[in-house]
Amino acid sequence: MRWFGFGFNAFGQIYGQDKLLEGECFENEQEVKVSSPTECTAQEDRSDCRLKTDYQIRASWSRRASLYLNGDSCVCLSGFVSNDSCGNPVKESRGCKDAIISESYLTLAFSDRLESWDLQKKETSPSWSMEIKTDPEISGTPLNLPLVPGGYIATKTPLYRSLSPHLRAKSLALSSEHAILLSASGTVYTWGLGSHGQLGHGGLTPEEEPRAVEALWGMPMSCVATGGWHSVCISDGGDLYVWGWNESGQLGLPSRGLRKATQQQISQQQEESPCRDASTSTAEEPHEEVFISIQAFPALLDITPSCEVSTVSCGCRHTAAVTTTGDLYTWGWGDYGQLGHQTLISSDEPQRVELFKEQQMRVVDVVCGAWNTFASVVKEEVAGP
Amino acid sequence: MHTLWTKISAVLPKDEEQFPLPFGAIVESSVVEMLRRSRRQLYSDTTSASRMLTAKVLLDFSWEKLNTGTWRHVDKEWRRVYSYGCLFKVAALCRGDPSPEDVLEALRTCDMGLLMGAAIMEDVLQVIVRILQGEVRMSTKGEDSEHPQVKRIKMECPHVPVIREELAIPRVKRPSLESFNTNYLLPLKPLILEGTIEHWPALNQHPWSIEYLRSVAGCRTVPVEVGSRYTDEGWSQTLLTVSEFIDRYILNKDGVKGSGYLAQHQLFDQIPELKADIRPPDYCCLGEGDEEDITVNAWFGPGGTVSPLHQDPQQNFLAQVVGSKYIRLYSPEDTDKLYPHQSQLLHNTSQVDVENPDPERFPEFAKAPYLECVLQPGDVLFIPVQHWHYVRSLELSFSVSFWWS
Repeated sequence: MRWFGFGFNAFGQIYGQDKLLEGECFENEQEVKVSSPTECTAQEDRSDCRLKTDYQIRASWSRRASLYLNGDSCVCLSGFVSNDSCGNPVKESRGCKDAIISESYLTLAFSDRLESWDLQKKETSPSWSMEIKTDPEISGTPLNLPLVPGGYIATKTPLYRSLSPHLRAKSLALSSEHAILLSASGTVYTWGLGSHGQLGHGGLTPEEEPRAVEALWGMPMSCVATGGWHSVCISDGGDLYVWGWNESGQLGLPSRGLRKATQQQISQQQEESPCRDASTSTAEEPHEEVFISIQAFPALLDITPSCEVSTVSCGCRHTAAVTTTGDLYTWGWGDYGQLGHQTLISSDEPQRVELFKEQQMRVVDVVCGAWNTFASVVKEEVAGP
Repeated sequence: MHTLWTKISAVLPKDEEQFPLPFGAIVESSVVEMLRRSRRQLYSDTTSASRMLTAKVLLDFSWEKLNTGTWRHVDKEWRRVYSYGCLFKVAALCRGDPSPEDVLEALRTCDMGLLMGAAIMEDVLQVIVRILQGEVRMSTKGEDSEHPQVKRIKMECPHVPVIREELAIPRVKRPSLESFNTNYLLPLKPLILEGTIEHWPALNQHPWSIEYLRSVAGCRTVPVEVGSRYTDEGWSQTLLTVSEFIDRYILNKDGVKGSGYLAQHQLFDQIPELKADIRPPDYCCLGEGDEEDITVNAWFGPGGTVSPLHQDPQQNFLAQVVGSKYIRLYSPEDTDKLYPHQSQLLHNTSQVDVENPDPERFPEFAKAPYLECVLQPGDVLFIPVQHWHYVRSLELSFSVSFWWS
């Protein structure tokens, strides 16, 4: 399994750690904005993580955490980290079972305890920790951060928040202002701020306590994700539901703001290269289109050609989904190349990342950072005769 | 002759060491690192594209923070980061030999910082705005003859509603502080104050007009409400320069349908030249707050703008500088007849279209007593706290409101 990354790379969180070691920083557009999927590299040779190939990725705005679970498990950080620890295993992470990273904290789950480490300070003990009394593997509910026994780990202090056991939480996704929870029976709950429709209850008002998204009742869901102001979930049948803010087209629905911005971009480019065919700029106004700025109820999102979605992840203002056929589709904000379409253009329609197809690679998983995207791929088996 | 960059770099610190970047713990060290990179680029040899890119990262990141949670709860540190992003972008734009478009973009960027950011480095964005405005004025000199038709527009007589005497808001010429306090402020009774703003430069020295506003603030970016009233479905807010606003919504140059209103904007904090043209009413001293606690808003738009019937949580002096407005007031005692919206966001706004009420949906509305007036240039209307008011401009109009407590 290999990981490819694209999007925001100003801290070298996708590739190019050696440059940072030499004290330089990323200033060129092509380095900061990686618009073509690029294989993630760990620190060469200095790291024993390098020898292992099977890992998972967690990402925040400025960092990538690679989580190695085989054998001697550990976490390696790249991006905005001090030079000597860059790409090396975080020594406190030895033996961990799961990890999540935010802009300020690295939270590690072990079989007997949980620890949150402040990434901004060099501390010798974790900022927060908790013992786990029953081994989750024995009790039958494996750890799935940010869920922890009895509650979850928030992105801000207080880090630990409790959750009612009646919710039977299976997985949880957090933005900086709202939360989306999937129960063992496939019910979706949301709470937090709702000013951009991100709770999916039809209004813009906040909810203090988890509230079931009624519009999805009777349709069991299998996966939930959240961006900065939008929410996404996948039904058991592989359908994708989206709601919240569509300012950059992150819902995959027609976005007026985005169309305006792209038109400006295009006309600017045409001004710069006047020899280009002018007829493209005077495209007829399409018939009265319905634009969505805020979608306050879940909406079914069609991906063309029709397909089943197996997993989904959201950046702040973009979305990435993997299909059961191994394709990766992305949409939303593209200013930093986070859509992987080899442009910096945002899109309010799901578009396939063609590079993987071209190179006969099958996408099996996707994880978004705030402004970037990481996809894990396997080489497509060549079908025998 | 100084170049623009000489003037701007003169108001910036001499070197990196004299350019502190003090931030609280809420701003993560990765963001501070970006700020440092931008600062380093300001004093080192690099490309304009690199400088613009780092500034963009700062602006994009802080923009997300400014849009997280309610505006009131956004930490001021993030508004400061946004202002630094604007400053670094302006510096990148103005370096070398900026094109006229670069200068306008720099001006727009400063205004975004003034509108959404927080003051940094002794309000350096305000200082730079003045430099940039001077630059724009120099380059547009001689183009003034472009607007000769302006003076002839919008002089048609407005249709002025007849005010019935028994419903008319009383008018008093320059009442004493004491009599205003006893007869109007304490019993919370509406009143039109006459002759209290004649001394404003806005009414005599340089009377506010389209040409005057264009010359003082034409290239400044301001928030504009688009749509006939804020309760309408298609209503939205957008950012335009004062000149664009005038051309589009007052002179209707490109035949744009729909109406625009520069409403409830703290224009005077953004543009000190205009602040110098007005004075807070002396009567505000009867309140408990200081002069700095008075919220001053501009209301500038063509005839036909409507503020639906609503109430505000503070006392209000509405000063009419240009044009006339029809205004109706309802007492808070009659709120039960005014059908406020149910939603949290609009609970201070009535659902009734005041001049065209639906008697079937709102049967009680006709029973609510009211007072009305046509506010003329030089008039100041006292709207007591919580009094419901409905406002429609009868012609091109510029009003200034003072909220105080």
